[in-house]
Amino acid sequence: MCGIVGYVGTSNGVDAVDVVLDGLSSLEYRGYDSAGLAVPTPSVRVHKTEGELSALENTVPRDELEGALTGIGHTRWSTHGPPSDVNAHPHRDEADRVAVVHNGIIENYQRLRDDLVDAGVTFQSETDTEVVPQLIGRYLDRGAAPEEAFRLAIDQLEGSYAIAAVFDGSETVYAARQDSPLVVGLGETGTYLASDVPAFVEHTDRVCYLEDGDFVRLTADDAVVTDAEGNSVDRPIETVAWDPEDAEKSGYDHYMLKEIHEQPKALRQCLRGRIDDLDGAVDLEDLADLDHEGPVQFVACGTSYHAALFGAERLREAGVRAQAFLASEYASDRVPIDDETLVVGVTQSGETADTLRALREAARAGATTLAVTNTVASSAARECDHTLYIRAGPEIGVAATKTFASQQLALALLAFTLGDGPTREELEALRDIPGQVRTVLETTDARAIAEEYVDADAYFFIGRGYHYPVALEGALKMKEITYRHAEGFAAGELKHGPLALVTEDTPVFAVVTGDDETARKTIGNVKEVEARDAPVVAITDGESDVTRYADHVLEIPAVGDLGGSVLANVQLQLVAYWVANLLGRSIDKPRNLAKSVTVE
Amino acid sequence: MPISSAVVLAAGEGARLRPLTKHRPKPMLPAATKPILEHVFDALVDADITEITVVVGYGRTHVQSHFGSTYRGASIDYVVQDKQLGSGHALLEAEPEVSGPQLVLNGDQLVEQRLIEDVHEAHDSDSIATLGLVRDGDIANYGGVIFEDDENISEIVERPHDDRSYHLNAGVYAFESEIFDYLRGPEPQFNEYSLVDGIANAIAADETVRGVTSDGFWYDATYPWDLLEVTETLLGNTDGVESTVSTDAQIHESATIVEPVVISTDCVIGPGSVVGPNVALGENVTVGANAVVENSVVDADTRIGANATLIDGVTGHGVQIGAGSTMVGGPGDVRVGDRIHENERLGAVLADRVRDGGGVTYAPGTVVGSDAVITAGTAVSGTVDDETEVQ
Repeated sequence: MCGIVGYVGTSNGVDAVDVVLDGLSSLEYRGYDSAGLAVPTPSVRVHKTEGELSALENTVPRDELEGALTGIGHTRWSTHGPPSDVNAHPHRDEADRVAVVHNGIIENYQRLRDDLVDAGVTFQSETDTEVVPQLIGRYLDRGAAPEEAFRLAIDQLEGSYAIAAVFDGSETVYAARQDSPLVVGLGETGTYLASDVPAFVEHTDRVCYLEDGDFVRLTADDAVVTDAEGNSVDRPIETVAWDPEDAEKSGYDHYMLKEIHEQPKALRQCLRGRIDDLDGAVDLEDLADLDHEGPVQFVACGTSYHAALFGAERLREAGVRAQAFLASEYASDRVPIDDETLVVGVTQSGETADTLRALREAARAGATTLAVTNTVASSAARECDHTLYIRAGPEIGVAATKTFASQQLALALLAFTLGDGPTREELEALRDIPGQVRTVLETTDARAIAEEYVDADAYFFIGRGYHYPVALEGALKMKEITYRHAEGFAAGELKHGPLALVTEDTPVFAVVTGDDETARKTIGNVKEVEARDAPVVAITDGESDVTRYADHVLEIPAVGDLGGSVLANVQLQLVAYWVANLLGRSIDKPRNLAKSVTVE
Repeated sequence: MPISSAVVLAAGEGARLRPLTKHRPKPMLPAATKPILEHVFDALVDADITEITVVVGYGRTHVQSHFGSTYRGASIDYVVQDKQLGSGHALLEAEPEVSGPQLVLNGDQLVEQRLIEDVHEAHDSDSIATLGLVRDGDIANYGGVIFEDDENISEIVERPHDDRSYHLNAGVYAFESEIFDYLRGPEPQFNEYSLVDGIANAIAADETVRGVTSDGFWYDATYPWDLLEVTETLLGNTDGVESTVSTDAQIHESATIVEPVVISTDCVIGPGSVVGPNVALGENVTVGANAVVENSVVDADTRIGANATLIDGVTGHGVQIGAGSTMVGGPGDVRVGDRIHENERLGAVLADRVRDGGGVTYAPGTVVGSDAVITAGTAVSGTVDDETEVQ
């Protein structure tokens, strides 16, 4: 849950410190409680500090490091040892001959550390990572050359890692990957290495994704990939289509607000070429080879899990047996899997460790696997039998917004593909959604609602059917970025306990669309809340009479269940955003959270 | 040193284009299918401008979400003008963000690259400002300058009404950074800081203000029906917009496309329909079976029902025209505010999300406000307010 970058430039290349700092800033979403960088020439120098990247930028002595050709850098999100200057990466051996950055968890670090301490090594930090440079140092002591020492040390490690190292006086970066993402970029003026493409996409779009077990040696004009035995391995060079502009705020105060407003565009991209309106069919080219009849299980975490709940319900409506599971509970729940089962991992980044683990379990049990992801060539995309891209474009804000909407739409398309096809009305409803999201953005009163309830004791969200996952997601957004207490409930569950929490200082957001039996039952629950004097905010299309029982209304166009869940969620995203904004929270980088959770 | 940066003023609503500007600013209205502002950016990029600062205000999220932070390789920075206190005030808002000489343009008027280049080439740092001028035009509704010696401007007047010989100020400027001092003072008129007053201040202080006449294309859409003429002009002009059908659009084999047209991505053109000439369909528009669409600007997500007829029509986003509805085409009398514009070529204007139930007849010159609902079989004429229901 960290980000690493590396760079080796040609003599006419870009300043290595600039490349590393810019790269880290693009990776800040991966974690940000400390950051650091190292340059290896003329001798290893390390600068690192607790806090956000700006703190590092202020401490790096730019004049001393001017003209550096090679560098590695790191942004850290703590798993071992609290955030502090000493625990920040890079870490070094005792003699300052090597500097190492690491993303992942070294599971056997305690034993390695004990052995090294017994051998007389003094550790500086409490991190698992520091065993790596200290091990490398031991092999250097024994006369190993840098690359050999690096390989011998990596060979000792168990766990997950993307590791990069630089050695005293050498313009070379060595790196290795196991269960943590690592990608190489090949540019005109140097060679790049990073946890994720945005770190160097402004310099080059030619990339090479490393696989588990790969080693790579970066020099200014080449990246040589080898396996654990040192045999050369050929990894294809791909061209990525990411536009670096997508990683800027374009006049919005926060990435989150920008990304909320990007939803119409993201949803158009998600649908493009996938609806054959003249033939009245959904046509998912990504899944042309998938011919599945059996049950479907979704595995996912966080926001993606809420999308998975929605997707499972869409599939059931289309006549497919489908369930959604929390990826982190999937293995311990002993969910029955067989080779008739399709297991669908929903993960924005494609690197979510819990989801990858669940997908691997499923594959081992013989299931067919499908990744629903936003990230081309991510681990999930490469490991699964099939991949459906949601095409939302890069998302920088830690709180997922547009990717959730795109997941909802992609999963609706999946349901029409695996189960009963869409009716004409359903196809039209799908095509209308992007424009209706724009309508919600143009007409929303979410900011006024936020101002009204910014000082509430807690926020509750209720919904039924397709709106239950929306209630969960609305509460999660509120928790993530406002740090306030928020809970989402199935509307019918309120009276089985949570109603005891409801007071006049706990607004209840009720999602109600249409005027069918489901809507009327939710309205019954709204009345229960109203009777306890809690303020009610109805998110509704106005078809039912819920507005009579609501103190405030957040209106959405009348579009039925499918679009209604997408639109209602946009209103709740905006309420959470404005509450957090009024509270002055760090909206794009909420405390304790990271965008892509690559540890289990 | 050639100027490489520009400030584009795009903060105003464009009230005379209501009801189309109910939710978005005039620079985001379509000329053919692209927003007017995108044409302005194209002209700037073609004139080798690499840094664009846009002053946004009314409906700014539409601008920001459409363009993001770069456009065709040029960087885009946004400056927010919260209160509409005039064009001079808008430019002052950009002052902290820019340095050195700048080109300055209006984001809601179409200008050809040539006009920008002429100003660019004519400007040198001995003059505090260089103005792009057009010989003919509706000077009484815009700004005029007295340009006696074909080099320096001796007077600048907003909406002149005397019969002296004026050149039209095309709203394309090159400014040295000293202009900001003149924009601030001496006193704002009617609590508005206008760019023209700032230039007049500079002339009064004996600064050199130059002009350059250009035969480059300049066009302003003042009223909703002007969008039809702008689109026709762009489609008919070799330097304008090429007739194109997106490869992502689905066109039934029995549909007839009469060029010139622009059919955008995700559009669906049903069997037996006839689309064109001079039709611009925005993203994700549906033309139903056997519908006829001619000389119209149809914005994104609009659905045109089966057997409907749309001639000289202008629609906003997400309009639903029911089956068999008819817009017979201009000319017609159009009421805007208190004024009647006679014999304008306009079938009807349907603003964002107007819904008709089918079989509706629109009298020429009808203007329907956003979110209005029209019951099936109704005959509509005149002006219909936003969010009303017509039975």
